[in-house]
Amino acid sequence: MMSDNGYYGQYGGSYIPEILYTSQQQVQQAFDEARNDPAFIQALEQQWQQYSGRPTPLTFCANLTEHFGGAQIYLKREDLNHSGAHKMNNVIGQGLLVKRMGKKRVIAETGAGQHGIATALVAARLGLECTIYMGAKDVARQYPNVFWMRQLGATVIPVTTGSQTLRDALDEALRDWSGSYADSHYLIGTSCGCAPFPEMVSFFQSVIGREVRQQSQAQFGALPDRLYACVGGGSNACGLFLPFMDEAQVEKVGVEAGGKGMALGEHSIRLSHDLGQPGIAQGFASIFLQDNQGQLQETHSIAAGLDYVGVSPIIAHLAEQGQLRMTYASDQDVVDACTLLLRKEGIIPALESSHALAAAFREAGTLSPQQRIVINLSGRGDKDIFNVARAVQDAEFPQFLRSYLREYPDNLQLASDAGQGRAV
Amino acid sequence: MPTLSEFIRARSQALQTSERLPLLAMTHVIYGYPTVEASLAWMRRLLEQGIELLEVQFPFSDPVADGPTIVAACHRAVENQPQMQLCLQQLGQLQRDFPQSRILLMGYLNPFYRYGLTRLVQDAAAQGIAGLIIPDLPMERAGQFRRDCTDHGVEPIWLVTPATPAERLASIARQATGMLYCVSRSGVTGQKDGAQQALADYLSTIRQHTDAPLAVGFGIRRRVQVEALVGQADIAIVGSALLEAYNAGGQEAGLALLASLGII
Ligand SMILES: Cc1ncc(COP(=O)(O)O)c(C=O)c1O
Repeated sequence: MMSDNGYYGQYGGSYIPEILYTSQQQVQQAFDEARNDPAFIQALEQQWQQYSGRPTPLTFCANLTEHFGGAQIYLKREDLNHSGAHKMNNVIGQGLLVKRMGKKRVIAETGAGQHGIATALVAARLGLECTIYMGAKDVARQYPNVFWMRQLGATVIPVTTGSQTLRDALDEALRDWSGSYADSHYLIGTSCGCAPFPEMVSFFQSVIGREVRQQSQAQFGALPDRLYACVGGGSNACGLFLPFMDEAQVEKVGVEAGGKGMALGEHSIRLSHDLGQPGIAQGFASIFLQDNQGQLQETHSIAAGLDYVGVSPIIAHLAEQGQLRMTYASDQDVVDACTLLLRKEGIIPALESSHALAAAFREAGTLSPQQRIVINLSGRGDKDIFNVARAVQDAEFPQFLRSYLREYPDNLQLASDAGQGRAV
Repeated sequence: MPTLSEFIRARSQALQTSERLPLLAMTHVIYGYPTVEASLAWMRRLLEQGIELLEVQFPFSDPVADGPTIVAACHRAVENQPQMQLCLQQLGQLQRDFPQSRILLMGYLNPFYRYGLTRLVQDAAAQGIAGLIIPDLPMERAGQFRRDCTDHGVEPIWLVTPATPAERLASIARQATGMLYCVSRSGVTGQKDGAQQALADYLSTIRQHTDAPLAVGFGIRRRVQVEALVGQADIAIVGSALLEAYNAGGQEAGLALLASLGII
């Protein structure tokens, strides 16, 4: 979707410190040129295919369809991307743009670590220096991802200020960029931030929806009736929905993180139920969870990737215009949906994506068997092993961790000399 | 009442014949840090010492243009749940108590936006606040804000940086009225030293485009840095270094720093 000079209705724009003006303009110009350059698009498609395995399949779920007895259920398999999530689509695109701009280093923020890993992978492949900012709480919660980022050669900096989560990591990445713009690119992981990031990230993610269009025509000779995507920052939702904006009859449903309750701090519901308010922060105007003094608030979700205080200006605008329907799913619904997909279809979904599943499962039975729904399975769930084990109260997991720890060399110096090989 | 630039010029003039370095001091204090009361007491103390310009930062949860010291203090201040309306009233009281100084309110856009930008300008004007500094409000998005400022007699204070492209710098400088906030080096607040020659060139370029008083900030912590500004700028902004001194030794350490810089 093209912005109106960086705006989507009243949302979007570029509200950044003056120091970043030049770099912001440079990204804007580089993107405007690249998107119209057939050689760039060709390189992009080649990397998507050869490095990430695109196109990803559209998988019909016969068992689930039968289970609910309503609409035919299809999954768009973004979990089959390299790195296990749609994040790779964007990172490949921006990585190629960094090369085009001649910059040597990338900076990124990450919440769960999915975008951090995707960035570190591409940085390794393109020979770029890579610094990842991650809230200290997220570092503690998602250490396996930190481990892989560091193994890939990235520097991971735990952010100890504020709520020590994604929002603070984003602030810190912006601060880094303020001092390093000459040789560094800020590789934002979702369709948020100052212009042109929302538009650019959506542009790279729209490959999802374009493929769904083609695959729907090829597999069932029509467009889907309804699309579901989880909404954290909004990039996988933009990617699925935007190529269908001309078809109002294709209903688009965005699913936010309902967390464990409706009180401020217990969820990340910004759009459904008007829990968020218009605001301007982190470089853009959108809807943010904030108090009456305009201070941004803490959020919660069982899925770290949906635990964000703002939302894409594109999603905020489309929701306001009634072109999207926004809903939410609670932590508990999400674990149930995840479990159901495991059992019925043999697919392990990310907890983020399980939000889209949960909302679709709620509604599938109310639709007719002639209708078809496509759920964006934005990522795979291997990364969520610790959270899911705890949520389903797996009895043997603690035992496994204890015995793992018993055998782990307690002389860490020795371990890092022998196996890790890298100082961090 | 004289305008902000008239006030600054008159005070600069007076300083030429004083013992002090001929630069106005602009000291930065975060409202609500470590508590609302303590921050007001610190502001009052600075004004008693004759600080000409007091820059008060209304804290925000996500201060993206600030360095670690100010970020940490902002987060602490936010926990004290600062209220914009009360802040404006309290600053108004200080302004009335210290008519020989000027108070500028600095803050990120969102808390101001929630309060209502027009309402903010009106209320700031009513309280005698001389200027508003909003680091994440770009000039090209500030049409209504600027009209409100003109209507109510509050100065919008713009920032330029060494990274600002020449044409844009010229344009911002030409539109500056009360003062122009010149960031002295790339990056966020509070970093260590930079090259003096580059600074001199930078300030003389800015000077070509404006008669407005020039305030230089971000990173001032030693007397030589202040001395280097004499003749090139009008105002030395002391932010992070003052906060660090305050954190280390309270008001006394803060005042000792300002004395060592030669600006009180
Ligand atoms: C698998 C997966 N899905 C969804 C998201 C949410 O991001 P977005 O809303 O930008 O798609 C994330 C973010 O980390 C993720 O890892």
